[in-house]
Amino acid sequence: MVKILSKGYTVLLLIHLLFLFSFIVEAKRPEYQLALKNHLFYPAQIIIPANKKVKLVIYNHDNSVEEFDSFDLNREKVIFPLQKSIIFIGPLPVGEYHFFGEYHPNSARGKVVVVEIKRNQAVSPHLLNPKQGELHVN
Amino acid sequence: MLINTVLLFLQSALPLFIIISLLLLRFTTASESLVTHKNIFIMSALAIVFVFLLNQHMEKISQLFDGKGTELIFSCGFIIIYFCSALLFLLNNKNRFIKVKKTLALIVLLLVCSLNGSHFILYLTSYWAQSLPFESLFIGIILAIGICISFAILFYFLLRYCDAYIYINTSCYFLLFFALGQLMQSIALLQQVDILPLNDSLWNSTNFIAENSELGQLLRVLLGYETTPSVMQLIIYLTAFIVPVFISKSRSFVWLSQGEKS
Repeated sequence: MVKILSKGYTVLLLIHLLFLFSFIVEAKRPEYQLALKNHLFYPAQIIIPANKKVKLVIYNHDNSVEEFDSFDLNREKVIFPLQKSIIFIGPLPVGEYHFFGEYHPNSARGKVVVVEIKRNQAVSPHLLNPKQGELHVN
Repeated sequence: MLINTVLLFLQSALPLFIIISLLLLRFTTASESLVTHKNIFIMSALAIVFVFLLNQHMEKISQLFDGKGTELIFSCGFIIIYFCSALLFLLNNKNRFIKVKKTLALIVLLLVCSLNGSHFILYLTSYWAQSLPFESLFIGIILAIGICISFAILFYFLLRYCDAYIYINTSCYFLLFFALGQLMQSIALLQQVDILPLNDSLWNSTNFIAENSELGQLLRVLLGYETTPSVMQLIIYLTAFIVPVFISKSRSFVWLSQGEKS
């Protein structure tokens, strides 16, 4: 198939692919934890900084499968019983982004609140990562 | 639970019904017919085995590669669907490469069926584990099957009309758009586990057509619609569309696919 393409277009395609792969860089991300117990998310509200990619570790303490789902965040992830799953979210602008458990959408609900943090502003870690079960959204 | 079952089934089954419509349009002549007893038997048997295997090992797969196993394997599947569909788009001539086209079509069908089917089977097993009433599940599945069949039939005849009276390759382009939708799913999965970068979104069309609406879901399957696409997604989408179209238009490829001497 490559033979069919002229040399110029092949070079263009290769440059394009190199450009795409140049984005792939592993980096350390801030980590936030979320737990699922009795088909409820704890905490049901997570506060993260704006315009930053973060790692979300979700623990399923239930004995049934659940799927973390969010149209706002464009995320879908199956979490098996007594297992953990990892997803990355962001960078996001300031706002509220709702998520829910696809298999128990009436009870398993929560939201990610994205807040602006100024460069030299001291932010309490308690604010950015509340303890499990502290907040719950209905 | 009824609505949830309908939505989940639609999400899982609609791509399968759409690709069946597209492939039936693609293989219209009797010599190319895809619907033979042998093909139906092979497809059904393989799809059941694949769905069963995926479902049985999904938990182990999810823990592979530092918790990125599901995303990596599913995105590979979606990428294969894209390449097979793009090749089907390119091998447009009705009388050549019949065996290759049939094999590609069967791979696409099998992968769409397995990847989407395993997701719904997970929901079913989770539902049964909770010992919830069976009626809402049953009615939900029947309703969703009805919606999928109705849409697939309408879609089939609409494209047949377009192929005949508007533009002869309309269904071929829809096949390519369907493939782009699958490719976009793989991009989203790779971004979810930080393999591909997540950039700021270029625009937000949620107020125009929300992705969780019925129309949004349909456009997502048909065209790879995304409410908040990133630069990377847009570049990949355009590249994945332009490259096969460019190849199909190039003179040497036309000679190759139509068997003409240069």
